[in-house]
Amino acid sequence: MSETATPAKTEQKRAINRLKSMYPLRNLVQQDYVNTLQASNEGKPTVWAMLNYWEGDLPLKAMGLNIVYPENYATLLAASGTAEPFLDASDSDGFPTHMCGYGRSTIGYSYRMMKENGGKIPPDAPMGGMAKPALLLGSGIICDARFKWFQALARYFDAPQWCLEMPMMATAEGTEADLEEYQVKFLVKELKDFISFLEKLFKKKMDWARLEELIDLAVRIHETTYQISEVRKAIPGPMHSTDFWSSMPPALFFAGDMKVALKCYQDMLAEVQERVNNKASGINYPERYRLIFAELPPWHSLKFFDKLAEMGWNFVFESFGYHNPKPPDLSKYSDPCEKLARLSRNFMFNIYEEAKRDNVSNAVVEIYLKIARGFKADGFFMHPLISCRAASCSLRTVQHFEQEKLDVPSLWVEGDIIDKRVFNPQEVLARAEAFEQTMDHYKKVRKSRGLDW
Amino acid sequence: MVTTTTKGLSRAHEIYADRGNRARELRKAGKKIVGYICLYPPVEIITALGMVPFRVFGDMSEPITAADQVSTTVVCPFLRSIIDLGLKGKFNFLDGIVGAHTCDIGMTLVISWRDYVKDAPFTHLIDVPHTDHAPAVDYFEGQINSFKRHLEEFAGEKLTGDKLKRACELHNRQRRLVRELYDLRKSDPPLLTSTETLEVLVSLFSLPVEEGNELLEEVIKEVKERKDRPAKKKARLLVWGPVFDNTSLYELIESADASVVVDDTCVGTRAFWADVKAPYDLHALAQRYLVDLKCPRTYRQSEPGETKRDYDKDLDSRFNYIKKAVTDWNVSGAILQSVKYCDTHGYEVPNLRHYLDTLGIPSIYIEHDYSERSLAPIKTRVEAFVETLG
Amino acid sequence: MENATPALFFAGIDIGSTMSKAVIVDADGAMRAYVVGPTGAEHRLRANRVMEDALQKAVLALDDIAYIVSTGYGRVNVPFADKQITELTCHARGVASLFPNVKTAIDIGGQDAKVLKIRNGRLIDFLTNDKCAAGTGRFLEVAAETLGLDLNEMGHISLQTDMPVKINSLCTIFAQQEIISRLSEGTPLPDILAGVYIAITTRVVKLARQLKVEPPVVFTGGVAKNVGMVKAMETVLGMPVLVPQEPLITGALGAAILARDQAFQLIQKDEYRVRRDKKLGEAIIDFGEKSR
Repeated sequence: MSETATPAKTEQKRAINRLKSMYPLRNLVQQDYVNTLQASNEGKPTVWAMLNYWEGDLPLKAMGLNIVYPENYATLLAASGTAEPFLDASDSDGFPTHMCGYGRSTIGYSYRMMKENGGKIPPDAPMGGMAKPALLLGSGIICDARFKWFQALARYFDAPQWCLEMPMMATAEGTEADLEEYQVKFLVKELKDFISFLEKLFKKKMDWARLEELIDLAVRIHETTYQISEVRKAIPGPMHSTDFWSSMPPALFFAGDMKVALKCYQDMLAEVQERVNNKASGINYPERYRLIFAELPPWHSLKFFDKLAEMGWNFVFESFGYHNPKPPDLSKYSDPCEKLARLSRNFMFNIYEEAKRDNVSNAVVEIYLKIARGFKADGFFMHPLISCRAASCSLRTVQHFEQEKLDVPSLWVEGDIIDKRVFNPQEVLARAEAFEQTMDHYKKVRKSRGLDW
Repeated sequence: MVTTTTKGLSRAHEIYADRGNRARELRKAGKKIVGYICLYPPVEIITALGMVPFRVFGDMSEPITAADQVSTTVVCPFLRSIIDLGLKGKFNFLDGIVGAHTCDIGMTLVISWRDYVKDAPFTHLIDVPHTDHAPAVDYFEGQINSFKRHLEEFAGEKLTGDKLKRACELHNRQRRLVRELYDLRKSDPPLLTSTETLEVLVSLFSLPVEEGNELLEEVIKEVKERKDRPAKKKARLLVWGPVFDNTSLYELIESADASVVVDDTCVGTRAFWADVKAPYDLHALAQRYLVDLKCPRTYRQSEPGETKRDYDKDLDSRFNYIKKAVTDWNVSGAILQSVKYCDTHGYEVPNLRHYLDTLGIPSIYIEHDYSERSLAPIKTRVEAFVETLG
Repeated sequence: MENATPALFFAGIDIGSTMSKAVIVDADGAMRAYVVGPTGAEHRLRANRVMEDALQKAVLALDDIAYIVSTGYGRVNVPFADKQITELTCHARGVASLFPNVKTAIDIGGQDAKVLKIRNGRLIDFLTNDKCAAGTGRFLEVAAETLGLDLNEMGHISLQTDMPVKINSLCTIFAQQEIISRLSEGTPLPDILAGVYIAITTRVVKLARQLKVEPPVVFTGGVAKNVGMVKAMETVLGMPVLVPQEPLITGALGAAILARDQAFQLIQKDEYRVRRDKKLGEAIIDFGEKSR
């Protein structure tokens, strides 16, 4: 996501070969922040939203509402090293310390805003902070914390709340014949209730034409980003993971103007394709190993990847949770709520059939098996986080199945999304060297098994 | 019915010590045993199809040695314990296991069970929506229907309205009897200790519903007539939180000169407070399990879609059943306990403590890692807490 | 009702994980004698020994002690005690007897740290850290070892500086490595020490903030004898702290005062005589055989 700006190192060789087209996308997000803050200062109500896989983003945007994503803001706190006072504030109000770093940051931020700063933004909050919320929009998708923590914020804000629904299931039950029908029916009803609620709260009507337009744009953005993902399969990998993390918000939660974002992604697709044509790599060192990163990046220590790039480690793909799948064909549906429901549902449900065929119960495992095959991965960099269960709990089984089915080994590196003291870079570099030998070994094993990488 | 030499509280004590015993006997006699995790799988459907529901718990005294193969360490230790036991074959007397998407790790557990624990041929995961909105109830009914179909296949018979009604009546009867048992804890001192109560409840989760009801009737009669009443203690407490399935925790509290007289836990009132209502169909089940059963995993607010919010009103709408328990059982303090890494309960703590504060009920929050050795430091804190209660 | 004997005394015994203490008070709650010694492995032996030593210092016999309260980690191993009360309650009582207006008490022991919220002399809320060595006396011991210093002399050295070094590690072991790196870089010893004190204090104050720290604040425990730690505590808290003359004995003192409270309650209820007889017999047997 948004890192602190790095001054260009013109004397020294930069380890990561950054895409030119990454910068406009990153700027789009930063500009979006500035715009949102300005609008809030002018009295426009601000919605705090969780990542909701487009289900909530698009109705909010269609109604012209000002949106801020605390999960995204928390990564800023992490990357700029300013999270500690917020984490401490959360602890001091009695919230357990094992909870999600993003959650603790937001709770701490809210506490400091309301209890210590009389309702004003804390002076040490980077990028102008987040304005007081007029609505807290939680979501049940991906993890429980993301609606429980907004519920807990009632302690500081009397802002109305809503919890968006999105099912997540096991792959066998998720592929039952009649499931899609009544699940979509359920989501459509919920969306209609949600939109009525927005209309009542903000005293304006939903612009349905605009919503249709945005859904259409969303699909086009996702088609483009999906293509970028496909093109990235080339050898050498043309786009490093750090470029992806910097440029994903306009596709992940439609930060910024969507028309501009679409153009930027089209530019990115062109640039990545050009690199593939020229066999240009995402790192400025010969690609010796192709790595997949799972799951959430160490926002506080992204410079660490430079060191690995110098060793020839190219992170060719990453973080399934931040990528959209190939968007479904929504043309046969007329109700925009149904389009939304299907677009959002597709995030997880697109993979269930394949998982069932592969005899894998955990959808996340199947997603990563596909990735390993598609990108001809030499190894996985597993980064379980002490404060994020949802993003970490499947990593052991992913490791296990990657080894068993594809003989792709994993390097296990513990860390945290916010708290950098848990991550020990020196120790990891030492283990990375040894891991190279492991990757070499399994390359041979795969060849002998008849796999083509 | 079952002939046995021990009855009532002694029998509960025996069953608690080896709770898989009766299930194994029944299995030998040809019954199918369907394990379930957490309170959301509707047990009525299992009973109605002629099988025995068996609630799966972890084991606080068993060190976790196998779970690391399939799970990271920083997850709910209760669920980690379950998968650990599963991998070690301790649940090989189950013919099937059903779980629900009650929390992230709970869902992942069932998925892991399917991939790694080969004992049980039948596994099913029921999705549970996150809110209690009306469309969510309908969706949940669809999920219960899906479970029903899958279980019918396994059972080799179809579920009829009559069978389901009969099962609901039996399980409702059990809940009524448990509530009657809890009434016997309203006196000062309560007529039975929390340890005795837990042994009875754990036994209920290990027996077919009719045998459980028989046991309850014996216990209620015995307790009403008992001469050896528990001693009067300094404090009357309520205990809140997830999976409190081991007597060691209750014993610890009771040894600190306190009686635990009521609770809000899932091996307690959460399981037995709400009945399934007429017409005892799948919709009634969805209503009971999603809306009437109170667990923090479901997102509740005083009014869905309200545009004006009031903090205290919201807390009261979510927790007023605790207020009632506090009043009816004359409680003077609350112990909020949870396991490490539980987000569902962790996020509730400051707000719940505030609510209890407004009721004039002092509280303490203790966190443990679901192992017997994590109890020693808790003992001092609990004792000190009781010492502060006037 | 039997009248209370004029010269009545009461005792509190605190068997901590590293140190054991005994305090004897008179009927007015004033301290008659106290003893501090290392606990070692044998709690019962230690309890007997420390009680004997206190009696010797007080020039009293066990018969003179009307009521005994045991507290601390090893409180269950004091068979001649009339009652066991947690160290949390005892510390609060002890601190309040020395500083009647106290609102917050912070105790850093060898293996744990406690924060007590006190109102009108009574404990009303508390928090403890017993999981992690980083906010306890253990951290100081490790630092002393690493720096080759005597724990008892370390305090003054840190006062020479105004520039404490920042120690980042959460964990005592990693912090040890940090200290070693700093030393090899040539960082002055006072700066490192001051940094260590700030690190320990920050951990404990973080815990304290959960209870909303209100002055007056009293700082107790072995660590409070270290002037460097006291300075660090005042710096991190941003308010002055009071330290008793003998910061190690507040638990035992509180226990002794609670013993007195209990005894007076029993005297009022006329239950004293019976209990005293029973306990006396037990106490003498235990005491005579096992103390040497």
